[in-house]
Amino acid sequence: MSDAASPPEAKSSPEPRSGSQAKPALTRRAFFKGAGVVAAGGVIGEAVSAANARAYGPATLEGTVEVELDINGAKQKVTLEPRTTLLNALRNHCNPPLTGTKLVCDRGSCGACTVHLDGRPVYSCMTLAVDTVGHKVKTIEGLSPRGELTVLQQKFCEHDGSQCGFCTPGFVMAITACLERNPAASLDEIQNACSGNLCRCGTQPQIFEAALAAGRALQAKGGK
Amino acid sequence: MALEPLRTQDEKPPRPAAPGKKWIRVTKAVNGIDTEVWEEVSDDTGGPQWGPREQMRLVSRAVPRVDGPDKVTGRAMYSSDMRLPGMVFARVLRSRVPCGTVQLELEAAKAIPGVLAVIALNNGNVDWLGRPIAAVAATTPEIAEDGLRAIVAQYEEQPFAVTPEQAAAENAPKVGSRGNVRTLSKNTDSSEVDDALAKAAKRVQGTWKIPVQHHACLESHGVVVDYRGGDEATVYASTQGTFTIPGDAAGALGLKPNQVTAVVEHMGGGFGSKFQLGIEGDAACRLAKLLARPVHLMLDRATEFHAAGNRSGGEHTLEAGLDEKGQIVAIKGRVTRLGGVGQGSGHPIPYIYGRDAKVFVEDRCIHTHTDSSRAMRGPGHPQASFSMEGLMDECAYASGLDLLEIRRINLPDSRRELYMRQLERCAALIGWDKHAFKNAPDLSKSELKVGIGFAIARWGGGGNGQCKVEVRVAQDGSVEVLSGTQDLGTGTRTYCASIVAEELGLELNQVRPRIGRSTFGSANASGGSTTAPSLSPSVKHAAHNARLALFEKVAPLLGVKPDELEVGLGEIHVAAKPSQKVAWKDACATLGPAGLSAQGEWQAHLASSDVGGAQAAKVQVDTRTGEIKVLEMVAVQNCGLLLNRMSVKSQLQGGMVQALSYGLFEERVIDPDLGLFLNANFEDYKIAGVREIPRMTVEFEDDPRGVIGMAEAAVIPGHSAIANAIRNACGVRIFDMPLTADKVLVGLEALRKKG
Repeated sequence: MSDAASPPEAKSSPEPRSGSQAKPALTRRAFFKGAGVVAAGGVIGEAVSAANARAYGPATLEGTVEVELDINGAKQKVTLEPRTTLLNALRNHCNPPLTGTKLVCDRGSCGACTVHLDGRPVYSCMTLAVDTVGHKVKTIEGLSPRGELTVLQQKFCEHDGSQCGFCTPGFVMAITACLERNPAASLDEIQNACSGNLCRCGTQPQIFEAALAAGRALQAKGGK
Repeated sequence: MALEPLRTQDEKPPRPAAPGKKWIRVTKAVNGIDTEVWEEVSDDTGGPQWGPREQMRLVSRAVPRVDGPDKVTGRAMYSSDMRLPGMVFARVLRSRVPCGTVQLELEAAKAIPGVLAVIALNNGNVDWLGRPIAAVAATTPEIAEDGLRAIVAQYEEQPFAVTPEQAAAENAPKVGSRGNVRTLSKNTDSSEVDDALAKAAKRVQGTWKIPVQHHACLESHGVVVDYRGGDEATVYASTQGTFTIPGDAAGALGLKPNQVTAVVEHMGGGFGSKFQLGIEGDAACRLAKLLARPVHLMLDRATEFHAAGNRSGGEHTLEAGLDEKGQIVAIKGRVTRLGGVGQGSGHPIPYIYGRDAKVFVEDRCIHTHTDSSRAMRGPGHPQASFSMEGLMDECAYASGLDLLEIRRINLPDSRRELYMRQLERCAALIGWDKHAFKNAPDLSKSELKVGIGFAIARWGGGGNGQCKVEVRVAQDGSVEVLSGTQDLGTGTRTYCASIVAEELGLELNQVRPRIGRSTFGSANASGGSTTAPSLSPSVKHAAHNARLALFEKVAPLLGVKPDELEVGLGEIHVAAKPSQKVAWKDACATLGPAGLSAQGEWQAHLASSDVGGAQAAKVQVDTRTGEIKVLEMVAVQNCGLLLNRMSVKSQLQGGMVQALSYGLFEERVIDPDLGLFLNANFEDYKIAGVREIPRMTVEFEDDPRGVIGMAEAAVIPGHSAIANAIRNACGVRIFDMPLTADKVLVGLEALRKKG
């Protein structure tokens, strides 16, 4: 199993505060309660299952909450819905938007959205933003805040570890975490670390070369 | 320019080239149309030359791509990364049924706070599974999805045909108006081939089945439309064709094409599926028009699978008649291609081999109530390769011939030398000489068995004259190269800079490439491996013209004529006396404040066409579990002048990985009863991951020709070589991809029963 597949431990997620916005005339829940009526026999209503789930299932959280996220070493207050993933929080709610982290599958099967949570790689599409309160998030933008490249990033460039490049931030984050744990990681360990990452261009051979070269360079420099 | 376009099932041009002209083979790669034609073009050998390769500093060398640092830091801006003031997020609703009518009630969705607009996308008729029928724009993507759930869609479902079996059945529900099964080939007389087959010494046959593959681009299809009212808009598109966007978008926005700018800074994969604005782009433009706000609409992953194209699957029934020496004297085939509501790419059977045989092929397409197939990297060729290379190995085993020998006998004369040289090099790289099973599969009882398979590819890869390039030299010595073209990850940006830097005697980082904007010079869409052979000669021409214009300015300073000058590294000097020189900065200081602008157009003599490649695979089969493990893949490829050895190698290896993935894993699965796409996600539609990558070796042949596109050739043979290696390893011929363990076990059991 890849580390990247592990969800963060949600120890200290806050109680989301409901209804920080003015009460709208028609809430989503009120709508869904009503929508069940529309679904007459024989008619397939897209809304039906959702309506039933909302009407009779567990209580849903509504409205937005203001939370303070710790991203790339800086605290940032964002206002978002509790259901907002960390991925969407980074891309759509942070200021400036952190779009280096990519949305590809939105369900934890491709690794393109990998970020570090307290130093461990996680899928940000499978992590709620509110669950990261009190934890440190590091994104691809946080690896080289002043524009200089890390050793791994340099090796990615030298070994042509990107083609279209859309998977690249995810691979870089997954392998960075691996090399931080063990700069002497073997090819097998590197593959294990990014076994949750997909690349459609077929750049994997160059990514392996880059990762191994970075490992060697890091060892020569004595770890970091 | 084009004279008598012909399908290049023909090996040779229709007639000798006229004086001052030459023939090139060009792929026409408009979406869904992937015909190769011969074109007679000017062969003016004056003007710029690539020059001796051994003297090149940047072109033909391994150069790290110039946008690498942007890609590894997340700074590279893809269309889906655009964030604009007031921007809203849009999503589309897919039809639940493959065929029928739908009535939409949108009011409840519109009433949701945060939902800003809800629109229907068609007139209520649905004729393919997953067709987008409505779109919602909202302040966040989450609320847009609430909006989709709140749309009440009432369907009148009609009987559907989502599989070829359903579509071809008697009284099948009609797909479109052309008939579900259409014969596209005209010749109906097979008597000559039937006679030749009857007289053949041996006959070999099989029916190969090819699943529908998906492009699976990591960045989904979509656009960000920046329209805030008024008479101008910018469309940030994830596209393979910058210039395919403005016209379509203008229509949807109610603007003129020249009021719309398309921007493609970076794009996250296309592979043939991203031309034109598409349903999703059209929806985004309509929403933007309605709201007068920027709209972000990228397809979600499930919709990407349903509605953004696929590689046509199909079925090939082939029979070959052989003489005593193993030469194929007749091929009879029935090729069925699946195109969904479209026609599907042509599968060129017979593929490369057997051109001297008598051939009869019935070419059919079957329509289903599914998304139209689109061009996909090497359209039609990987499919044709799969059955044809399988047939070749079956012919070898039936004749007791070596797998290379059967190919030597059946390659057309015009290509025998090329492919045998490449095949023999692949054989040497993969250890064929030590392999024991050259003319018969390993039928021993050992548990872990290793086999080797071969396959070859061809592609046109010629260029065309659509590219206009500008090189700007500023008074301070800085240089820009501008073209509207797009970089799909092939390294376009990098070779634009390196060609100019080479021509002007500069370092790579002294030239800034600016691409991906429709206000820059026109460029062709990236399809059919035509970008490099079209663009690079135009870049060279512009750089050449910039150099000559600069020489005009500098010559008086040195008291010589312009044609006495040449560039050195960072300087311009007198060719006969290099110490008489002007540094680059000083030379540029002679320019006025406006600097210098030079234009470039396509130079036919700097490009060429027609690439060939061979690949081999070594595969281990575990006969206890059926597990297939690809141990090694090797490739030998020609492609004229390599613009950048590093990125071309990446592309070739990438093609091999995609072919491995096609062979071993990929298959769209649609439930025929429910009409549901069962694996429209990356858990169930598997593509090769890091654990599946074999040892890979690639070599490029020294090829004196000009620039040729090779990316398609890379993806054509790999899966065929793997299928052949499985057969070689354990005797099991798997006729239908994906090549999976269960099929190995079924095959082994059948062999055991046969004794």
